[in-house]
Amino acid sequence: MGKKGHEIELAGGGVSRRTFLKGCAIAAATLGLSPEVVPRMVKAAMSPKRPPVIWLHFQECTGCSEALLRAARPDIATLILDLISLDYHETLMAAAGKQAEENLHNAVNKNVGKFICVVEGGIPTKDGGIYCKIGGKTAMEILNEVAPKAKAIIAIGTCGAFGGVQAAKPNPTGAVGVQDLIKGRPIINIPGCPPNPENFLATVVQILTYGRPPELDELGRPKFAYGRKIHDHCERRPHFDEGRFVERFGDPGHKKGYCLYKVGCKGPVTYSNCSVERFCNIGAWPVGAGHGCIGCTEPGFWDTMTPIYKHLPGIYIPVGGGIREQAEEIGKVAVGGAAAVIAAHAAVGIGKKIFSLRCSTEKKEEK
Amino acid sequence: MIRKEPRLYYRVFVWSGTLRLFHWTLAFSTFILILTGIYIHYPPITTKWAEFKPLYIMATLRYWHFAAGYFFICALAVRFYLFFAGNQYERPTDFLPINKRNLKSLIHNIKFYLYLTDEHECRMGHTVLAGTIYFVLFICGVIMGLTGLYLLYPETPLIAKAGHQLFGTPQQARLIHYLLNWFFIFFIMVHLYIAVWNDFNAPDAIISGAFSGSKMMPADLECPIEELEKIPFEK
Ligand code: HEM
Ligand code: SF4
Repeated sequence: MGKKGHEIELAGGGVSRRTFLKGCAIAAATLGLSPEVVPRMVKAAMSPKRPPVIWLHFQECTGCSEALLRAARPDIATLILDLISLDYHETLMAAAGKQAEENLHNAVNKNVGKFICVVEGGIPTKDGGIYCKIGGKTAMEILNEVAPKAKAIIAIGTCGAFGGVQAAKPNPTGAVGVQDLIKGRPIINIPGCPPNPENFLATVVQILTYGRPPELDELGRPKFAYGRKIHDHCERRPHFDEGRFVERFGDPGHKKGYCLYKVGCKGPVTYSNCSVERFCNIGAWPVGAGHGCIGCTEPGFWDTMTPIYKHLPGIYIPVGGGIREQAEEIGKVAVGGAAAVIAAHAAVGIGKKIFSLRCSTEKKEEK
Repeated sequence: MIRKEPRLYYRVFVWSGTLRLFHWTLAFSTFILILTGIYIHYPPITTKWAEFKPLYIMATLRYWHFAAGYFFICALAVRFYLFFAGNQYERPTDFLPINKRNLKSLIHNIKFYLYLTDEHECRMGHTVLAGTIYFVLFICGVIMGLTGLYLLYPETPLIAKAGHQLFGTPQQARLIHYLLNWFFIFFIMVHLYIAVWNDFNAPDAIISGAFSGSKMMPADLECPIEELEKIPFEK
């Protein structure tokens, strides 16, 4: 018929052209680009050479893929049928066993230097990386085989980017993120637990359209999505400035939508566009739903952002098998201790003075 | 033991005007920083009445915190300048335990504060124990300033880069900023106590010295008069 695959798809109504254009427009808006680039994006996305994507899974919970399945703008069908060519994705593909291994091998070697490698999950490095094996190969081996041949690598989720939950102290498997193992290839981190699929999509479209990754911050996260604190664009921010806080979940302030700062919201130190992009196409996001931000886009958030309902982490004191103290308890103990020492010091001084005075008067009397 | 009084004293001028300016700027800014900082850390009152009348209490106290923060940073910059350009007594070589004389003095100071000796060391500048602690305070102040700036401008490229290298994520910087806050509270308590205690137990009148820049030195001290006369008499 002379029609290329994606055109058949569009004509056949698998995905309407409208949905598809909408998807591109949303990606452009997420990236903060002007609507003028939309035609260019559409062209790039419609090109018969859709970029092959190879999606690797390591130490993960598949939550990032789950989030992607629930992407609404555009939906997953548009994404994998029109925007990218998802050549390998363990949970979304039909192949299994030896066939799957072959698929991966072929997909990589057919597209050397052209495919986008997406990594979901942390990579264990301890004991030769034996803690995560797929088809007899360790995660490290698979990554080292695939990633250096990629055009760009997207580490999706906090695990792929920074190691995630398995890298939390004491990190028994020596889990790390992609950027700790792979050098010399552009690596884009899309952290989050799970990340917003729209940020992932916008990054892919950016690479497609311009052939290079978006501008990144200190931690390799795209600035269009991770350039601002949650706190800066939070709908509860006026309550924060006004000093109106939720004291306890379910209290009157909570019902009135006050700020969640005192119940441990990490919005003031967390970079993400959750408050702007929101999730699942229904405008939902954690703080909007009445729960503080847990800081899931920051490296090591399992260690530095916990306890979730406290403002600051506990401090580990290696006494009596280790106790975890809240920072302010330490402060109060230190200051209380100082006050006690000062009082004792003053008391000794006064006591000594009285004593020496008495001694000297006694001596005088003797004379 | 009863001290021989009246005793003859010289009033010597030790602390330059710049140093006193630094001292009081640091004192007042730290005081405000601690009060507003503790509110920022744990806002104790939830202003339910503010539904009727705007107060902007958090926004205002944060503003004061940042304004005081700038005074604090300027004060530290002045002290840093005096480390090199100040008079003899304002330079670290005079008050850090880096030579035999200062080390001996440090041990003596500790004994004095533990009531193990009654003999007060009359010294022109800081005693070595005080000087060492002030130096630690200065370092902590620099860390406060850096973490503070990092928390205030985490998006500025240069600050973001430096902050990430030095402290990690803003949350880690916030923890350091908060923990050192207690060091400042601790310091102020001890500092005020020691100042008052010294006024009772030593003749040099250090509290009034913080305003006038002078110290009272016993004339019968072994310290030669020529030494005393070398001191710049600026006011
Ligand atoms: C002796 C000096 C200082 C003390 C005792 C102090 C104390 C504090 C405390 C207790 C907090 C609350 C921490 C928390 O739990 O989130 C805080 C936050 C903060 N301080 Fe300081 N601070 C000092 C110096 C500075 C300086 C020099 C600056 C820089 C201008 C600064 C900027 C900040 C910022 C930006 C925050 C975060 C405010 C927020 O999260 O809303 N601080 N400070
Ligand atoms: S709820 Fe969290 S992010 Fe929103 S204003 Fe309060 S502290 Fe900031």
